[in-house]
Amino acid sequence: MKRIIALFLACLMIMSLALTGCGKRNTKDGSTTDPGSNTGQNTDQEDNNDNQGDNNETATVEDDPSVKTFNIYAFTDEVPNMIKKFKELYPDEFPYEIKETIIATTDGLYQPALDQALANGGSDAPDLYVAEAAFVIKYTQGDASQYAKPYKELGIDVDNLLKEAEIAPYTVDIGTNTDSQVVALAYQSTGGAFIYRRSIAKDVWGTDDPEVIKGKIGPGWDKFFEAAEELKQKGYAIISGDGDLWHAVENSSDQGWVVDGKLTIDPKREEFFDLSKKLKDNNYHNDTVDWQDAWFADMKGVGEKEVFGFFGPAWLINYTLHDNCGGTKVGEGTYGDWAVCEPPIGFFWGGSWILANKDTKIPKTLGKVIEWITLDSSENGLQHMWANGTFSEDSAKDTVASGTVMKRSDGELDFLGGQNMFEVFVPAGEFANGKNLTQYDETINKVWREQVREYTAGNKSKEQAIEDFKQDVRDNTDLIVE
Amino acid sequence: MRRKGVSYAKYGYIFCIPFVIAYLIFSFYPTIFTLVIGFTDFKGLGKTEFNFLDNIFENFILILKNPSFKRSLSNTVVIWIANFIPQILLALLLTAWFTSHRRKIKGQGIFKVLFYMPNIITAATIAILFSSLLAYPIGPVNALLQKLGFIDEPTYFLMSKKIARGTVAFIQFWMWYGYTMIVLISGVLGINPELFEAAEIDGANSRQIFFRVTLPNLRTIMLFTLVTSLIGGLNMFDIPKLFLNGGPDNATVTTNVFIYNQAFSGSYLYNRAAAASVIMFLIISVCSAILFMILRDKEASKLRKLEKMQQKELRKAEKETRRLDNET
Repeated sequence: MKRIIALFLACLMIMSLALTGCGKRNTKDGSTTDPGSNTGQNTDQEDNNDNQGDNNETATVEDDPSVKTFNIYAFTDEVPNMIKKFKELYPDEFPYEIKETIIATTDGLYQPALDQALANGGSDAPDLYVAEAAFVIKYTQGDASQYAKPYKELGIDVDNLLKEAEIAPYTVDIGTNTDSQVVALAYQSTGGAFIYRRSIAKDVWGTDDPEVIKGKIGPGWDKFFEAAEELKQKGYAIISGDGDLWHAVENSSDQGWVVDGKLTIDPKREEFFDLSKKLKDNNYHNDTVDWQDAWFADMKGVGEKEVFGFFGPAWLINYTLHDNCGGTKVGEGTYGDWAVCEPPIGFFWGGSWILANKDTKIPKTLGKVIEWITLDSSENGLQHMWANGTFSEDSAKDTVASGTVMKRSDGELDFLGGQNMFEVFVPAGEFANGKNLTQYDETINKVWREQVREYTAGNKSKEQAIEDFKQDVRDNTDLIVE
Repeated sequence: MRRKGVSYAKYGYIFCIPFVIAYLIFSFYPTIFTLVIGFTDFKGLGKTEFNFLDNIFENFILILKNPSFKRSLSNTVVIWIANFIPQILLALLLTAWFTSHRRKIKGQGIFKVLFYMPNIITAATIAILFSSLLAYPIGPVNALLQKLGFIDEPTYFLMSKKIARGTVAFIQFWMWYGYTMIVLISGVLGINPELFEAAEIDGANSRQIFFRVTLPNLRTIMLFTLVTSLIGGLNMFDIPKLFLNGGPDNATVTTNVFIYNQAFSGSYLYNRAAAASVIMFLIISVCSAILFMILRDKEASKLRKLEKMQQKELRKAEKETRRLDNET
């Protein structure tokens, strides 16, 4: 009997040890439910004080020589591959073993894993992590912003380099924390354009010149719908589904979903109800949902009606249209039948921002890597290779954050019938507004689009749909909803 | 010479340790912690401190008043009932066929494996399979119906609440009837074969045998099936979450999807999610208790009551006699 008791006590002891072990970093534990015990808090505050010491000037930093690994958290292998490339090019400056953790953003698994890794800290915590536009705000300005280290503290001369590289303002807005420090930057530029089919343009307007087409579909939604009507006469759909329009509307609005803790519906976003209804009622689109089979079919031109175009940034061309166009060279599928022009309204869509962990032990190397990826506009920098498709054997030309690099580079693509896409995408980045993102976007967008779909399907009135939208947000968040 | 007996009991305890530790850390502790944070202001990502609320039941009141929670609860119950009734009926029918002494069905093993198969495929795969089957405007079901001439225009099936809920219920039914059938068959095989023989000799037909012999003897197994299915059904999460992510218009938001949305999206309201979980725990406990009450062996409990009453009477009588003895 004694043994059993001893055993039981031993179990309890192990358990309490295990629990208090986490408890120091993370007060989520039962052992520290007492509000009086706040050891975790104190250490956090000390860290913050350390950070504030060198706010305003570029710091000189040194690496901890005992560290052997460079930890990365990312949702694709894109950034890890860049760091491998850096190691290959500059082996002397990068004496670390790269340890990458790649978790796809589908199923919402990436953020919880990253949050845990950041909160737990220790030697397995990421030194560098990547955040996507859909949730980057959480890591730069929202609930998880305390983990990000300002670029200046990594020894990067941010202010001068930003000017030199001509980084689009929305990229910087998104990557700036509430203390006006840049903590994240992107390497890609995701300013949006309208990507259309040349053959359809010729059939309807007799020309496929981007300068002419841009005047047909915009500026403004009225001209866009006039174009839609003209296309309909010839049996074409202007876009595939209302999701295409939504990305343009969402990221061109003046206000985000949340202003001072209150749910706000920007008039431009509210207008989406009417735009979407108009598209559906007049049969201007194929009524597809983005990222579903029917949407991809429209890229190949095999949907119900042939679709004139898509709203999107350069990555949509490289990774989505390119792979779903039904061919690999001019003449196959819709390959080579595309062109880009200015959209009716400026917007951006997606992108990856790179952040550094405030607890990193290797700030010097980290600074060099991040500078090389995000701010180096020379011909040796990553963005030059990225823009010119010389990063690896199978890489495509892509738009990059640095305007300097794009102006110097040549963005001609066979896929676009030889058009230099940078001519359209460089100005596109300037129009984009990066000040309307919130960490609630993913949640609220889902509810919003669902209610819009209910309205356009004729199941609800607009008032009812907006009311239900508000109710849903009220029920599922602690935002103030009026 | 006395040989000291070797006790193997301690090995039992030693082998239990891994489970006990894992249970305490990964199951017991989170449960208690959930209960605790239900009473606190613990919310927001990366926050580590929390305090108990002034009005200690605030989260529970908020959840009970929350229209989305009520709707999710009714969704869950509707979907569970719509999947459980056909599931148990089909499982019973198959059980009756497979265990029948009269008709020996050939290839039983293959059928059992085939029926059990949907349960082996991961829920994620099935959810995605069904959402692409019913896709709009281009999808296999739409294409088939159009080819056969039932519809002219593609139909947006998944915009209909009824079809969405029905599909979730069907997936649940389709995934679990095989499992229920296996459990019921094992229950039937556990019944004393002499009972069936006796019934057959007495001239009972197979229907009578099923209703008069098999079913009454299956009661404990049925209770087990009902309770596990109730728990599983009210905790339904993976299919509704992955199939339509709660849509259309929240028609397939189950309580667990609601709890997930509270805790892991938007405002990260861990406290309210915990309160909702505790409420669900209570609901499930009460429902299970009611099922136990209804399906308990009434004869046996009557007998026990009777015995108790008799003993009471006996004691009373004894007392009475003693009293009478004393008086005299």
